[in-house]
Amino acid sequence: MRWRGTALCVGLMIVVALAAFSHVTRGFSAVTSDGVRRVDLEQSPRTLPSLPLVDQDGTVFSLADYGAHSSYTTIVSLVYTHCMTVCTTAASGQAFLQQEIKARGLGARLRLLTLSFDPVRDSPSALSRYADSLGADSALWRMATVVHRRDLAEMLAPFGIVLIPDGLGGYSHNAALFVIDEQGRLSRAYDVDRPDLALADYLHTRKAVR
Amino acid sequence: MKPRHDGAFPPWPAGRNLADIQWMAWMPGVLLAALALARPWLESHMARHMGLELPLLFMVGWLAARLAGPRLTRALDPWNAHGLSALVFGALAMAFWMVPAALDMAVLNPLMGTIKVGAWLLAGLLLGASWNRSGLVVQAFFLFNGCWMTIAVGLVYQQASSQLCSVYLPDEQWSAGAAMVFWAVAVFTLWLPGAVRASNLLGDGPARRG
Repeated sequence: MRWRGTALCVGLMIVVALAAFSHVTRGFSAVTSDGVRRVDLEQSPRTLPSLPLVDQDGTVFSLADYGAHSSYTTIVSLVYTHCMTVCTTAASGQAFLQQEIKARGLGARLRLLTLSFDPVRDSPSALSRYADSLGADSALWRMATVVHRRDLAEMLAPFGIVLIPDGLGGYSHNAALFVIDEQGRLSRAYDVDRPDLALADYLHTRKAVR
Repeated sequence: MKPRHDGAFPPWPAGRNLADIQWMAWMPGVLLAALALARPWLESHMARHMGLELPLLFMVGWLAARLAGPRLTRALDPWNAHGLSALVFGALAMAFWMVPAALDMAVLNPLMGTIKVGAWLLAGLLLGASWNRSGLVVQAFFLFNGCWMTIAVGLVYQQASSQLCSVYLPDEQWSAGAAMVFWAVAVFTLWLPGAVRASNLLGDGPARRG
């Protein structure tokens, strides 16, 4: 009796635990939140909210503009320009992509967007300097931030970016290269140091569609 | 009073009469309230979250079980032959909360945070009530596996080059991993002498009940 009860109990716990593990790791395919987000985006792409952004030229536009059908695929990174660590990786990744877009003549189909989550310091003029320092071609690569600070959380939410102030005026934050597809859906995420993978995937999908 | 070497772990307060510790009946509640108050501080650093909050929750549960005395152990008996159900629950709960994505969810999602507290308290309670019910072989099996798993995961945390948790800085991963290794070694070291004596492993004394 005692053994039967114990076996039942242990069996039940293992089933529940497997379900819990499977849920939190998305079917044993990821252990970190970034990995989980990658799987989530692939399985159910997200829409972009309508909120006002301002770019390096001072032009105001809506994030939802990128969420509409278009002939473009957009590769997005989220940074703040004072960042000395992971954002530089994201920036060099996008610089690499800009180079590839030009070299492969993809300028009419693929574009880049850098969103800053530090609207206080990253004014349009600061973004413009940042763009210059990276050699960004404004026809391909746009830098922008929120017009209103209160919109920050809403901008970060679909990307799953969590900011932790580091106490030195900076932030620690997770990062990735995101893809907004031609349907305007946020549908992929790649490790921030793998722009090559993002490009290869894009080229491969395009070839498959054709 | 002759010291007991019956594999009791830790040697206190099992070695004493229940009556001796009954005056501490208020302690688990107070400790839990203190932990609840300290939660923001505990969870603001990865090492404090994994290395302090989780083990303390376990200990509160363990202490509560010790204070509840044999009544609780008897109540669990029909489903807990040799403490197996408790050990399986403890092992699964521990493994689950080592997944970085689960830790993130515990901080970001209040429901998951509550489940985490409940799981660790319950693990402590169940193991506290039934540790001495399980024989040395069963104890050794779970302890070897649990400590080995914790050390392995702790080393992975220490060496991980990428950010594991969205809510914690990559710099904190080393100390969180170190805390895991510390606890695994500490628990093993506390358990080993009693186990060696109880099993007469070294052959230098009359074998005692295991």
